Amino acid sequence: MAMVYARIRLVATAIALLVLAAVAPVAAQQPVNPTADAVKEQQLLQQFKRIQGLGTIPDIKSYTIEQPQGRQWEHYHEAVLPWIGTIAMLGMIVLLLIFFLVRGMVRIKAGRSGVNIVRFTALERSVHWMTATCFILMALTGLNITFGKVALLPLIGPSAFSKWSLAAKYAHNFLSFPFTLGVILIFCMWLAGNIPNRVDVEWLKRGGGIVSGDDPPAYRFNGGQKGVYWIVVLGGTLVAVSGYVLMFPFYGTTIAGMQLAQMVHGTVAVLFVAAMIAHVYIGTIGMQGAFEAMGEGTVDLNWAKQHHRLWLEEEQARVGPAELERQPSPTPATPTA
Amino acid sequence: MRAFLLACLAIVIVGTGGYFFVNAMQQPSGVAFTTDGARIDTNWAWRSTGTKEPITPSEECDVRKPWGWFFVDFGKPRGESAVCRISQ
Repeated sequence: MAMVYARIRLVATAIALLVLAAVAPVAAQQPVNPTADAVKEQQLLQQFKRIQGLGTIPDIKSYTIEQPQGRQWEHYHEAVLPWIGTIAMLGMIVLLLIFFLVRGMVRIKAGRSGVNIVRFTALERSVHWMTATCFILMALTGLNITFGKVALLPLIGPSAFSKWSLAAKYAHNFLSFPFTLGVILIFCMWLAGNIPNRVDVEWLKRGGGIVSGDDPPAYRFNGGQKGVYWIVVLGGTLVAVSGYVLMFPFYGTTIAGMQLAQMVHGTVAVLFVAAMIAHVYIGTIGMQGAFEAMGEGTVDLNWAKQHHRLWLEEEQARVGPAELERQPSPTPATPTA
Repeated sequence: MRAFLLACLAIVIVGTGGYFFVNAMQQPSGVAFTTDGARIDTNWAWRSTGTKEPITPSEECDVRKPWGWFFVDFGKPRGESAVCRISQ
């Protein structure tokens, strides 16, 4: 009996497919009169793949109302980008949470020495915080464009969302200038210390010693920090250039150029945010003594020995060990763990 | 903390500079989204030398005789905005 039913289903499916194959081309070939009073948008799109007409103003771009590239772009910023952003950012947060639960904070093995050495000058820290502050504010205001309608609008209502989005748009535009300046200064300030070398290869092979527990040697910037540097420089350049293309519409670009710029801007920005979440993690709760480098400008001697041994040796050779140890430490020494 | 405050000050200064730069480069929306090719100011079209002002709506709609075009004033009307002058 089951065999009979299976055969009936097979025959019915075959007939249905034959009917569809016969009817579909006929339906597709139905002529559409684009000037008919009752012509529908979807009919026009199916027949001509675009909706355009004539105009009397010089801006001929405005004559085309819908086109295939426009719909692809709409699909990108309404569906693809939110997914890329969600996976990248939430994925990174989940990974870091698991890592923190498994590995915990990377501690100074020898405990605090009570002696601090200068790691970043006031200028370096100012440039870092200028770029970081702009980045955080621009990330929040930028993510509002992609996720605000879904995440914020239902919470605060259309009136407040409209006001916030307008302010966010202006903040995003004007903060782009100090952010770009920060990226340029970071590139110039730390380029010499961020050229990859063999020490970095070894550092990366050993996973920075974070998992294994050993501490591979590193100069002022280790392999991971060099990775962050190049993400900031290259990612920052991409978001800045694509952002300025969007900020000045049709200055040397067409609609297609602006759509491409928006796609590059959105994709690079959400990946940039995901990478910076990891940077913030390792600079705060992920590693004992790391935040002080950018907070106060100094690090504990034992921290430097553990994570940047080659840099410490260079510094000792440059200013002398006695001079280094004269730096006052705001954090008291702790007994060896 | 001092480095962070310095950074905030730099953000305000550079951001304000950016505000003036953008305003200098970008046009107000009233100008940017106005066509420069199809703007017709009826007052301008019918303003002739010797015509009394203001021109009434009925006068604006009158068909001008060919000889009347000799007396058309192509100058800038009194009180006309800069936007109108650009468009013409």
